Amino acid sequence: MALLDSLQFYFMHFMPYTKLPPGRTQGQWVDIPNAHFDPVEGNRLYKQYLDELVLGDQLGYDGLVVNEHHSTFYSLMPSCSVIGGALAALTKRAKICMFGTPIALTQPHRVAEEYAMIDVMSGGRVEVAVPLGTGMEYFVNPVNPSFARERFREAMDILVQAWTQPGPTRYDGKFFQYKYLNPFPTPYQKPHPKIYIVGSGSEETIAFAAEKGFGYSQVFVPLAPQLKSFQHFREESARHGHKTDSESIIISAMVYVAETEQKAMEEGREHMMFYFKHLLKTSQHFYAPPGHLPIERLKKRLESGTTIQDTEVTWELLNTLYRTVLGTPEQVAEKIAMWCEQAQSSKIILHMHVGDMPHWKAVKNLTLFAEEVMPRFRRSAPGLRQAAE
Amino acid sequence: MMASVIDKTGFTSEEMVIRGVRVHMLTAGRGSPVVYFHGAGSIGGFDHLLPLAERHTLYVPAHPGFGASDDDRHIDSILDYVVHYADLFDRLGLNEKVDLVGHSLGGWMAAMFAVLQGHRLRKLALVSPAGLRVPEHPTLDLFTIPADQLPPYLVADVKTLGRLLPGGMTNEIKLARYRETTSLARVAWDRLYDPKLERWLDRVTVPTLLLWGEQDRCIPAQQAHSWAKRIAKAEVATFPNAGHLLFAESADAVQRLNAFLS
Repeated sequence: MALLDSLQFYFMHFMPYTKLPPGRTQGQWVDIPNAHFDPVEGNRLYKQYLDELVLGDQLGYDGLVVNEHHSTFYSLMPSCSVIGGALAALTKRAKICMFGTPIALTQPHRVAEEYAMIDVMSGGRVEVAVPLGTGMEYFVNPVNPSFARERFREAMDILVQAWTQPGPTRYDGKFFQYKYLNPFPTPYQKPHPKIYIVGSGSEETIAFAAEKGFGYSQVFVPLAPQLKSFQHFREESARHGHKTDSESIIISAMVYVAETEQKAMEEGREHMMFYFKHLLKTSQHFYAPPGHLPIERLKKRLESGTTIQDTEVTWELLNTLYRTVLGTPEQVAEKIAMWCEQAQSSKIILHMHVGDMPHWKAVKNLTLFAEEVMPRFRRSAPGLRQAAE
Repeated sequence: MMASVIDKTGFTSEEMVIRGVRVHMLTAGRGSPVVYFHGAGSIGGFDHLLPLAERHTLYVPAHPGFGASDDDRHIDSILDYVVHYADLFDRLGLNEKVDLVGHSLGGWMAAMFAVLQGHRLRKLALVSPAGLRVPEHPTLDLFTIPADQLPPYLVADVKTLGRLLPGGMTNEIKLARYRETTSLARVAWDRLYDPKLERWLDRVTVPTLLLWGEQDRCIPAQQAHSWAKRIAKAEVATFPNAGHLLFAESADAVQRLNAFLS
């Protein structure tokens, strides 16, 4: 099947800071005292994480994905452009995926400029996915969360205008005014790098991405509603006259490959649990600043009573809600084939370093996946097709 | 068009449409007009204001974005609310000799209304008002307080909230609170004051009463003096054992206001 012949494997790194202060149960966001940051440890981690991303490039991953969060141990990337710039210099062939700066938190022309810089520096290897930014980001950036969505849409219009209309142009919006919108440099790729919107299931985000002809991706949305919104996104896009294909949607999965399933569980599982228990965890207060969540989403959240951010995470819960696989190359390949078929997506983000995973496991995971899993798709092994069907 | 219903508390419930937005208003009593601008939470109701209706027509409109009024997506500043209320006063024919009372966020709106529309007013009462920047006694940034930790900031005695919300924090109330907090954030996420207001307050020339709960942990009672210093005809009344939701905790404060308005 053509879909499985053309899979693109994107290695995503969260770059977490894993030396957590003891006994902090409320999560590592917003008000975690930054005195806990040790720059020597930070330096060690940046080197380790960049090594892993560079290895990903050498091993043949199609993309290297970085993202952005503020004031949190979840991520050492309050600016993903800085890491993107490093990757442009350190890597040779993988896409550099800026997935990405919450554009409403900054000035949109800066995103246009910085991403264009990385695109030109890397000879046209940038891809872009833009999130609204979690509620937590709005507590630590001077931007009113009750206008987040409106501001996001305006900022996206400016990014596209900056990249598609020869400058200088003018922009008169509610939040941003540009007398001369004239970013320099402009992107290497013409008209511009591919753009996705990162959503979490909001109806209005799907509608926005579909209307504008962007791609669409989701993070940490349970599988069933996620697949439903992908379908909805495809229908909405068609309604607006935008054709979708297998690259229009990006899915993501947590993956650990080892010699045996048992070994994969032994080596990988604790780090995934660390991620969900300690890094993703936050409070309802920080998760939902006023106006950031559409009221219908909050309603669903209150009615369902459980969310990944504030409940006790169990391994079983994770496996029912998200794409998680730990196993042999064969087991991992089968799952990936199934997930991609299910979502009709040929782009899959793989969380190959998760939580407090040590360097050697990340290297092992990246290597085994590249050497033992990817080739099964590159040659579109018939066994896999059967598995998917 | 106006529809009216009398509810069991003695308020009459009315609806009207202003600039395309449906707004809801409670009225009670008969006499010279008193308009009450409520604070950022309307969920506890307004029964404690009914003594004001003994000698006045009391109007308690719900701000757009609050209570039973619809949202107005154009409103994102205190000035927008002042213009909204200039419209509403026109609609009600309230062109002179109106007594205006504002609590907390509503106090800020009332102060700005007095700055810009003072000619319509007879007297002004500000009840633990937001709006003024007093660096020595700063207003609490409510947005930094998780909902479950909020009660002791709002009232001197947390049992007061139990009386206001006998059913507790149901999901319905949580959603209503989220909506009202969002409406508040639209005008005051950055700060619950306008640094320029102190420059403008000398335009308030009507007799003004400042009422404050001495246990107010949202907006400290010491701010009363900063207001009184800038308003020519101001007096200050403070009440012990009462917090930010002053009228819910102090019947004396309601009586003091009633005396001021009579």
